[in-house]
Amino acid sequence: MRILIVEDEPKVASFIRRALEEESYAVDVCTDGQQGRDIACAVNYDLIILDLMLPNLPGLEVLKGIRSEKVKTPILILTARSEVNQRVKGLDAGADDYLTKPFAIEELLARARALLRRASGETTGMLQIEDLILNPITHEVTRGGQRIELTSKEYALLEYMMRNTGRVLTRPMISEHVWDLDFDTFTNVIDVYISYLRNKIDKGRDRNLIHTVRGSGYTIKAIDG
Amino acid sequence: MGNTSIRVRLTIWYGGGLALIMLLFATSLYLVMSRALQEQIDNSLEDAAVAAARSLEEHRFGPFLLLDDLAQAFPELALLDKFFQIFGPQGQITLQSANISTRNVPLSDQAMKAALQGQATYESVRFHDQIPIRLLAYPIKHGDTLVNILRVGSSLRPVEKMLDRLVFVLQIGSPLAVLVSMFGGWFLAGRALRPVDTITHAAQRIAAGDLTQRIHTTSADEIGRLASTFNDMIARLEASIRQIRQFSADASHELRTPLTITKGETELALRKERTPEVYREVLESNLEEIDRMSRIVDELLFLSRADLGEIKIAKEPVQLDQLVQEVQHQAIVLGKNREVETVLGHLEPTEIVGDEWRLRELLLNIVDNAVKYSQEQGTVEIHLEHVNGMAKLSIQDHGIGMTSNEQNMIFNRFFRSDSARSHAQKGTGLGLAICKWIAETHQGQIQVESTPGKGSRFTILLPLHSHA
Repeated sequence: MRILIVEDEPKVASFIRRALEEESYAVDVCTDGQQGRDIACAVNYDLIILDLMLPNLPGLEVLKGIRSEKVKTPILILTARSEVNQRVKGLDAGADDYLTKPFAIEELLARARALLRRASGETTGMLQIEDLILNPITHEVTRGGQRIELTSKEYALLEYMMRNTGRVLTRPMISEHVWDLDFDTFTNVIDVYISYLRNKIDKGRDRNLIHTVRGSGYTIKAIDG
Repeated sequence: MGNTSIRVRLTIWYGGGLALIMLLFATSLYLVMSRALQEQIDNSLEDAAVAAARSLEEHRFGPFLLLDDLAQAFPELALLDKFFQIFGPQGQITLQSANISTRNVPLSDQAMKAALQGQATYESVRFHDQIPIRLLAYPIKHGDTLVNILRVGSSLRPVEKMLDRLVFVLQIGSPLAVLVSMFGGWFLAGRALRPVDTITHAAQRIAAGDLTQRIHTTSADEIGRLASTFNDMIARLEASIRQIRQFSADASHELRTPLTITKGETELALRKERTPEVYREVLESNLEEIDRMSRIVDELLFLSRADLGEIKIAKEPVQLDQLVQEVQHQAIVLGKNREVETVLGHLEPTEIVGDEWRLRELLLNIVDNAVKYSQEQGTVEIHLEHVNGMAKLSIQDHGIGMTSNEQNMIFNRFFRSDSARSHAQKGTGLGLAICKWIAETHQGQIQVESTPGKGSRFTILLPLHSHA
């Protein structure tokens, strides 16, 4: 899952980024409103965290700009506690949720999870395919009751795939949602991580869940194989 | 009367005054009228008596008076508003006109005595049936001998009736006039006091917190002046409250950012075990933010105390050129890392009057800014000269500069240009506001000229000692 932070205060942006990265999200930071709007429209993010007090372009304008480009990505706005009016305007302009500064890190992460869950149509919060279960809150992955240890990137890749169960995911789609802007698209990193995942999830099992779609990419689903 | 409205009081005073005037007027009118009427009656009695006496003389004081002759000589006697009596010299009645034949009106002793001395007597008496009459006893003499006493009488009833009617009219009319005038007074007082009510209502709405209220007035009279004074006062109040609101909103906003950072960094660090380096970094970052917060709080406190006039400013001679040199040494140290050089241009020996400590703060703040926003290996130049009795201190940098919009706002509290915001070394946004305050309390000025990308020049003007 890939998240964009638009926040002009570098230290605020920095700790939000580190917190999200610890949760295996791919994170990009933008400190300027105008740039933030452009990048939000160009890249297919899963969530945007937007500070409403920004230089050059006010946050509200960024929000309207993003929505006018038909970008449906969930947006979480950060506002000042005293400004009720701003929150109302923000929500009316297309934001999905808000947090007032100063906020608790755990709340930010919980709201991010909630927005991602709603966007993928989940209701319980648990992702499951046959006996493979992923808990986005604890990051615990089990198959047939057996715990599977994953690295942060492997977890991020599996979560993205499980949120899109049955869909064919191309390599550009995967790179867009699991890796951040520093990702070099000309490497075979995705194929390497897919093989890591296969080793941990499908190897030695009766039924494979991760499938290669020749010429397109990969998919995760429950079929005989 | 303390809590009675002015309107009621005015009306009562007005009505009371008028009632008093009406009372005096009615009384004097009554007195004058009754006096005039009585005189009129007396005159006509005398006329009649004189005529009757002449008629008696013509009859050679015969014992009988011929009423018919009298009636012929004075047709008005026939109107029967008078009666005649003729008494003998001993006061016995000898003849009387028919219209009082049924009544008995004897001659009084007083009138008899006066008649004996040859004097006429006027008397007011009543018949037994209470009809008031006026009597004139008129002695008729032949030589020195009293021959007859002629008495002429007339009913006072018409006069009494007339006076009664006058009293009646005054009794009804006066209170009515007072009532009408009180009503008029009430109305006029209400009209005159209506703007006062408007002001009161506006003041009540303002007291309830609506400071946008104004009193609409077009008149230039006393009330109009009061209203416009009131409006001015409210406008100033509104402005200062807006300023306070803006200030506290800005202050809480400025404190919110460091709070968000310290809270966020700390919570993040506590989520799991970290290496000692990570903890050290978090603590260092937090310390930085705590310093920032205490600086904001200090400066806020300074400015609010300055607003209240609680900051004492010393008034001692200060060698400004020496101060500039000291600040220059500090600036050289500040610019060392980034190789920013601070040089002195023309430095006129200058003495001004003021607070050395505050002036140093002012200078250091401006020079520190100039160094901070200079390009690496840049130069900051300081000049001190005299212009029109003022010390003119200019600090020129060749740094990032500002747009004209930013130049207008730079001395406002909490204003930070976008470039200042993204600058590595965060200020509080209060430094230049404090500088402006220091310059102005020294009867001076501070100005800025700037070109984006080329640099800025801050100019501080302070009065010289001899002119201070």
